[in-house]
Amino acid sequence: MHTLLTDYFPILVFIVIAAGVSGAMLGGSLLAGWQKPYPEKVSAYECGFEAFDDARRRFDVRFYLVSILFIIFDLEVAFLFPWAISLGHIGMFGFLSMLAFLGVLTVGFVYEWCKGALDWE
Amino acid sequence: MATNTLMAPGLQAVGLGPYLTVGAILLVLGVFGIFLNRKNIIIIMMSIELILLSANLNLVAFSGALNELSGQVFTLFTLTVAAAEAAIGLAIVTVYFRNRGSIQVEDVTLMKG
Amino acid sequence: MILTQIAFYLFATVLVLSAAMVVSARNPVHAVLFLILGFFNAAGLFLIAGAEFLAMILVIVYVGAVAVLFLFVVMMLDVNFTQLREGVQRYAPVGAAIGVVLLAELVFTVARWQVVPHPAPIAAGNGLPPGITNTEALGRLIYTDYVFLFQACGLVLMVAMIGAIVLTLRERPSAKRQDVSKQHARMPADTMEMMSLSLGAGTTGNHALAAGRDGFLRPHDGYGAVADEGGPGVRAPEDHEADHHHGA
Repeated sequence: MHTLLTDYFPILVFIVIAAGVSGAMLGGSLLAGWQKPYPEKVSAYECGFEAFDDARRRFDVRFYLVSILFIIFDLEVAFLFPWAISLGHIGMFGFLSMLAFLGVLTVGFVYEWCKGALDWE
Repeated sequence: MATNTLMAPGLQAVGLGPYLTVGAILLVLGVFGIFLNRKNIIIIMMSIELILLSANLNLVAFSGALNELSGQVFTLFTLTVAAAEAAIGLAIVTVYFRNRGSIQVEDVTLMKG
Repeated sequence: MILTQIAFYLFATVLVLSAAMVVSARNPVHAVLFLILGFFNAAGLFLIAGAEFLAMILVIVYVGAVAVLFLFVVMMLDVNFTQLREGVQRYAPVGAAIGVVLLAELVFTVARWQVVPHPAPIAAGNGLPPGITNTEALGRLIYTDYVFLFQACGLVLMVAMIGAIVLTLRERPSAKRQDVSKQHARMPADTMEMMSLSLGAGTTGNHALAAGRDGFLRPHDGYGAVADEGGPGVRAPEDHEADHHHGA
């Protein structure tokens, strides 16, 4: 057996156990439970009166902006990991290359800071 | 079984063919999804993500099979571009919805002068 | 060896099934959740192919960020999705035809193509050198050999950031923004004044005694609406007029 995949074998075991346990819970309740649904029972209960509106409310667009900025910086950090590991091998050029990359992204960061995209109002 | 030690061990066990088959099926499903959900632009963007994922799968499979890391480097760049594309595309969808109150793909033709 | 094959076919099956559910789910929220499941299984396939770092990046970036972004948009836009599903019956034959044509092309290509089950790896390829991890081997390539693509990635990310802000950020004049430096620069003397009040003199007309040190602190512009109507607030005469004007 090769070493790389044996390292990840415990994760596979965990996935199988997690799938098995959750599947057993869902399937067991599906099989053992007494289910007799009718429209009145499965409708949403809201203190006795009819539901006012849909349960799925609209989010504010500010959540979306925060999420986009999270993606960008997530990718930036993703590029930092191999750099940090291999810094001893790639030398000064690799170091400066990453500095240029970070500089470009800092320009965007300064822009968003000045525009107030990070403020929550 | 080939005994070269240069190929990635998982690929030695599975072989290159199954990987390419999975990639081909994903590509076809993505293209099919674009035509099936022609009105829903969000599902269309998810189908594009599937197509990009199939390309990435092929790149990674060949990279492991050919002992050449360039494929993985390109996959990393593709992931970056795909994430940026999703971010900007969804931002455009959001702005369009705010202005017009719908995301019907047919309505977008109104942007033609 | 057989375990690897089992894992591959498990991941591949779940990936293909969840991709099929992404394109055919009625509820877009379910489509996004199936997309997340598909990305997890693709990460498993990447892992088997030896791309450890990319598998983790796929989980972190795609499952953790991109799919959540899709979920946000699906929930943010209050769209009547059943209306969007209307044309599915009509478009399904066209989509199926194109899918079949594409699949047939791929099948013909693969059938004609001599698929070597184990193609000879490039002996001089810059593959994984022995003794280092996949992440470090990638790091040795990205920042030096592929420096231009790497910088282009930085530019793409910056453009995405700025574009997202330009598109979605809108100024709200009514919003109360917090300006920390302005708050820090604010001194007591700028806003408060010392009022002194002698016994029995009432609450009006005491501004003549404002030079005294004893008394109480009062904002320059009075207590505003709180001390307006018949309250015990102390006001300067100009505040009186302002209040009357305001009340009129």
